[in-house]
Amino acid sequence: MSITHELKRMLTSFWRPTPAVIALGVLSVYYFGITGTYWAVTGEFTRWGGHILEASGVDISDWGYFNIMGMQGTSLTRVDGVMIIGMFGGIIAATLWGNKLKFRLPASRIRIYQALIGGIIAGFGARLGMGCNLASLFTGIPQFSAHAWFFTIAMIVGVYFGVKFTQLKLFRSKVQMQAISCDTPQIVQKDRAKGFFTFGTIVFSLIMLWALYLIFVVGSTKLGVAMLFGSAFGLIIAKAQICFTSAFRDLFITGRSQMSRAIVIAMAVSTIGIFSYILIGVPPKIMWAGPNTIIGGALFGFGIVVAGGCECGWMYRAVEGQTHFWIVGIGNVIGATLLAFVWDDIAPLVATSWPKINLLESFGAYGGLLFNYLLLFLLFLLILKIEKNYSKKLNGANYAK
Amino acid sequence: MQNNIPTPTHRLDMQTEPCPYPAIKTIEALRELGDDDILEVISDCPQSINNIPLDVEKHGYKLLHIDSSSPSVRYFVKR
Repeated sequence: MSITHELKRMLTSFWRPTPAVIALGVLSVYYFGITGTYWAVTGEFTRWGGHILEASGVDISDWGYFNIMGMQGTSLTRVDGVMIIGMFGGIIAATLWGNKLKFRLPASRIRIYQALIGGIIAGFGARLGMGCNLASLFTGIPQFSAHAWFFTIAMIVGVYFGVKFTQLKLFRSKVQMQAISCDTPQIVQKDRAKGFFTFGTIVFSLIMLWALYLIFVVGSTKLGVAMLFGSAFGLIIAKAQICFTSAFRDLFITGRSQMSRAIVIAMAVSTIGIFSYILIGVPPKIMWAGPNTIIGGALFGFGIVVAGGCECGWMYRAVEGQTHFWIVGIGNVIGATLLAFVWDDIAPLVATSWPKINLLESFGAYGGLLFNYLLLFLLFLLILKIEKNYSKKLNGANYAK
Repeated sequence: MQNNIPTPTHRLDMQTEPCPYPAIKTIEALRELGDDDILEVISDCPQSINNIPLDVEKHGYKLLHIDSSSPSVRYFVKR
């Protein structure tokens, strides 16, 4: 097999999810170390909501939440903005290389409601808790911010209730299995793979050139590097079909723990990496550990299960042509904007009057490190326990037959 | 290529349904199959690649073949 053939095979096929999630953990550490900023997407989505309000004539200069987020500049001049452009570049390339582009309309009206309402709840909850899965699993926890632990545990509880809710008859799929014979026509799919592959290569090259232009011509090293990292993040989540929503959801639905285990391992890897950067003086991002993280986490967990995807998962699915996830994305921006609207009334009560807890300060540097690993180990045990309970129930059901 | 694909006796066309519904339906459908039946599941949720194969095996069924060359991934499974 020639080298080009093998390269093409690698870019065409799916990537294995567990190494992909660990790679994301490692990359997010370097992203933090090199740029001093964090891999997160919902913050920028909130700013998009702010820009839409500004464009429609609303004065948001006295909205506290937008002041926290920083509305200066545009998506082209903000680090988070260009990182997301890079992500979309990587996602588009991955989708085209893998021949996964297809326009799909939602299966039924109930799915449209699920996407919109779930998206709004998740968007609201994520911003109330100061971040989505990325901000908690790849930023907050490895950066020793206690708020991310509250958020994550509450999210798992929210996911559990989301699973119970979406298993109601109303939401079940109406598709029926059919018996088929040799006469039943094969479902033939048009072969457009070749053209798409070339187009994917062009998109990826353009993003690379754009990033290099920012670094070497414009001199905005930080923006260019953010775009490069974004393209790697996007490429990996789309090629390996990384879905953080599925991690805990499917643990409850079908007892599958592959993704949740991978996430804990990725967090364990990134914890030590972030720790080394903090020791040499890079400041971590510590957020208020108030009731906002618990309420936000629970709402977020419930919302992502109803919607079928979180803030990072809808991005590559939207690009693949799944209109369901265009609606989820719109819902997320609406939810985040709603939170910004009520923030000034609720913030002192649920967030800003609460302490920002840095585990490295509470327990000392090495005490905090040890404590974080202890919590990660307990989370891993919890995952194994939930999986075990599912298997027990499954075996019991088989035995009863 | 065509030779690797087993001839299915049943089909579950889950196109347009998002995950996790394709995986849930697959498990439910497999319960109704006989020992010689082969089920073809078609899903255009590419993320099903990370759930259908694992869930099928976990529930004690056999995955025969995956065709992921198109936007709609096809899985061939039996009891």
